[in-house]
Amino acid sequence: MNSRINMPNTVRSFFPSIGCLALMVALTGLPAAGQESVDPPPGSLPGIHPVAPLADGQWTMPAGDYGNLRYSPLDKINTQNVQNLHLVATQETGIPHGHEGQPLVVNGTLYMVTPFPNNLIALDITKPGLPQRWVFSPHNDNRAEGIACCDTVNRGASFAEGKIVYNTLDAHTYAVDATTGKKIWETQVGDLKLAETETMAPVIIRNTVIVGISGGELGARGRITALNLQTGKIMWQASTTGSDADMRFGADFKPFYKKDQGQNLGIKSWGPDQWKLGGGTVWGWISYDPGLNLIYYGSGNPGPWNEDQRPGDNKWAITIFARNPDTGMAKWAYQVVPHSGWDYDQMAENVLIDMPWAGRMRKLLINSGKTGYVMVMDRETGELLSAEPFVPVTWSRGYDLKTGIPNLVENKETHSGKNIKGICPANVGGKSIFPTAFSPRTGMLYIPATHICMDYQGSEVNYIAGTPYLGADVLNFIPKGEAPGALIGWDVAHARQAWSLNSGALPEYSGVLATGGDIVFNGTLDGWFRAIDARSGKLLWQFKLGSGIVGNPMTFLGADGKQYIAIYSGVGGALGATAFPSLSADAPDAGLGAMNAAKGIKKLTLPGGALYVFSL
Amino acid sequence: MSSLYSPRLIAGAFSLVIVGLGLTSCQRPQVNSVANEAAFPQSTNVGPIPGGVTVANQTLDPYLKDVVAIQEGQRLFASYNCSGCHSVHGGGGMGPSLRDETWIYGNSDAQMLDTLIHGRSKGMPAWGNKIPEDQMWKLIAYIKSMNTPLEPNAPRMPAEEVIPSGDFYKPSAPAALNTPPGPSH
Repeated sequence: MNSRINMPNTVRSFFPSIGCLALMVALTGLPAAGQESVDPPPGSLPGIHPVAPLADGQWTMPAGDYGNLRYSPLDKINTQNVQNLHLVATQETGIPHGHEGQPLVVNGTLYMVTPFPNNLIALDITKPGLPQRWVFSPHNDNRAEGIACCDTVNRGASFAEGKIVYNTLDAHTYAVDATTGKKIWETQVGDLKLAETETMAPVIIRNTVIVGISGGELGARGRITALNLQTGKIMWQASTTGSDADMRFGADFKPFYKKDQGQNLGIKSWGPDQWKLGGGTVWGWISYDPGLNLIYYGSGNPGPWNEDQRPGDNKWAITIFARNPDTGMAKWAYQVVPHSGWDYDQMAENVLIDMPWAGRMRKLLINSGKTGYVMVMDRETGELLSAEPFVPVTWSRGYDLKTGIPNLVENKETHSGKNIKGICPANVGGKSIFPTAFSPRTGMLYIPATHICMDYQGSEVNYIAGTPYLGADVLNFIPKGEAPGALIGWDVAHARQAWSLNSGALPEYSGVLATGGDIVFNGTLDGWFRAIDARSGKLLWQFKLGSGIVGNPMTFLGADGKQYIAIYSGVGGALGATAFPSLSADAPDAGLGAMNAAKGIKKLTLPGGALYVFSL
Repeated sequence: MSSLYSPRLIAGAFSLVIVGLGLTSCQRPQVNSVANEAAFPQSTNVGPIPGGVTVANQTLDPYLKDVVAIQEGQRLFASYNCSGCHSVHGGGGMGPSLRDETWIYGNSDAQMLDTLIHGRSKGMPAWGNKIPEDQMWKLIAYIKSMNTPLEPNAPRMPAEEVIPSGDFYKPSAPAALNTPPGPSH
């Protein structure tokens, strides 16, 4: 991939002024970081280049684009007319659980994956009311429901070569014919007996489907698996604990920092055999840079949570990896938090963008995760360029950029038998699984941030297969004087907050979409779907949905040429499950301590599950 | 597995069934519609029966009012990792709340014991060959104490917590390294 990828014509045609904008870009005089980046979308700030084509009216992969910008150049809905947005269709799924993830739109069809039992629903977007084309129901093993840590969620599908590919909670990957709804292949990628489940959305690169695994709260051992798109056959697997061979670390593996260099650290950085139950599961988002031919993803918490039971750095839990998608071989790895005692999974999306940084063009990776820091890295080398907190942080005081090591605060380290108070962010994270969006027009990353802190008491735990392997009693809370959460407009180049919009009575817990109309879409846990001015953070429009929002907004062009916005309603997930009748509000530590951070949720929303589609 | 089932327990379970059937045939208390046991006298009830209550809520647990045993049950609740799924005070998480009034598989002593011994299909493990019977009764006594005056260390709504502002990491000069040309707003 040495030539520039052109923006698809469908997008160009909607921007009559593209010539003028192209001239603007040309006049900036900055050289592009690499010949591989695509042309910047209209109105981009000088020097900003996406690494791959953006969502061009369709939405074919979880983030809409490989770079995980979650940015669409569509601008028919914009700051001038968004107040006229209205509901055009809804579709219930009939499953009152957390509707994380986002629909796909391909070739006049909208595809949605439901929570367990993970039905795949295809709707005809060319007709009013979005009539159903078909529903595909996998044979999902209901033992999976009992070993899913954080509600029975699913984060979506990917499309390629006529196939919809997605994972089921019982750890199978399915390829379904996008036209007929018939199964093409099915591959088991995890073992329920080892508490392995699947919640993440696969990503397809050429002929390779990449999937992870969940189960880090139950002693599962993390990995990613590559499947052949045509046959479903497993091509390679790369673990996140264990030997260098299991890790697929070869001669090309060059971690930037000394702390991450050495042989078989995935075994040596643990007590004897602990790596076998060590967590580091892969349940988040995967990005891909076609120019460098590298995928980027992160691994989850080490297990068990009680850090006294696993001395060492616990590699390669809580690590960002760069790998070749064809071979699985790693290029670099960076452990974000060694020996974490706070459940700071590193599953957040890695946003890939070429842009000016400190005076010169860099190939950046931007990550805003559970730790509460926006980390800016050089994605070619794995060097940490900046780490600035986007929420209140007490567990550390910044990062040493020379060593890549966080400056830990000693009295916030957790231990068995001790109740450590006031750790911020909480296990839920400064930002949980809900992805950011990045607008090339504003240079801002839009971060759905929570302001939850926690008290944390470690305790000894035995491994009992199929049950949680935690060893921690956690109580979440919103610190006095703080809002529960906020959508943050983060100026990437200056590494600072530009604006912040509070999420209301409950923590921020939904993904973000940014558009060429300078609007950011986002939902609240109590069900308000909101349109926000991307530059000022001003709330422009909102509409209350049937149930709380834990999904990610997306946008597409209809057959009628209109721009549509789609979002799931359906409260759930780790924090949102506090709305379920099966969790008691009189126990503040219910739901791994989340109940105390979601006070009043049962009155603010009820469980549900539906797609909502809006247009002008 | 069988070694943990004492003859007393098995006899108790059978007598419960017999008592249950006896009640059903003559009194039928609080039953709206009844499963047709008469047609299947050999059947035993191991869970709630749709349409009506047919298992007598007979006390089998010797520890229901024993505060020391209930405390021991709370300790076991943590050490057998019940708290991992049902949360520390039984408020629910991966597994359902045990504090509320909803009992998917029934809350008579016999039903709860059966749930512990055999497990349930959505993730509740079968503990029959792992937990001695005596400890199961202590666990049941603890669970039944929840939301009653007997509950040890009952959950309390915590006071609002303040984080001293000095604990927050706030960089003094953020992003000094970033100079134009970069996007600004």
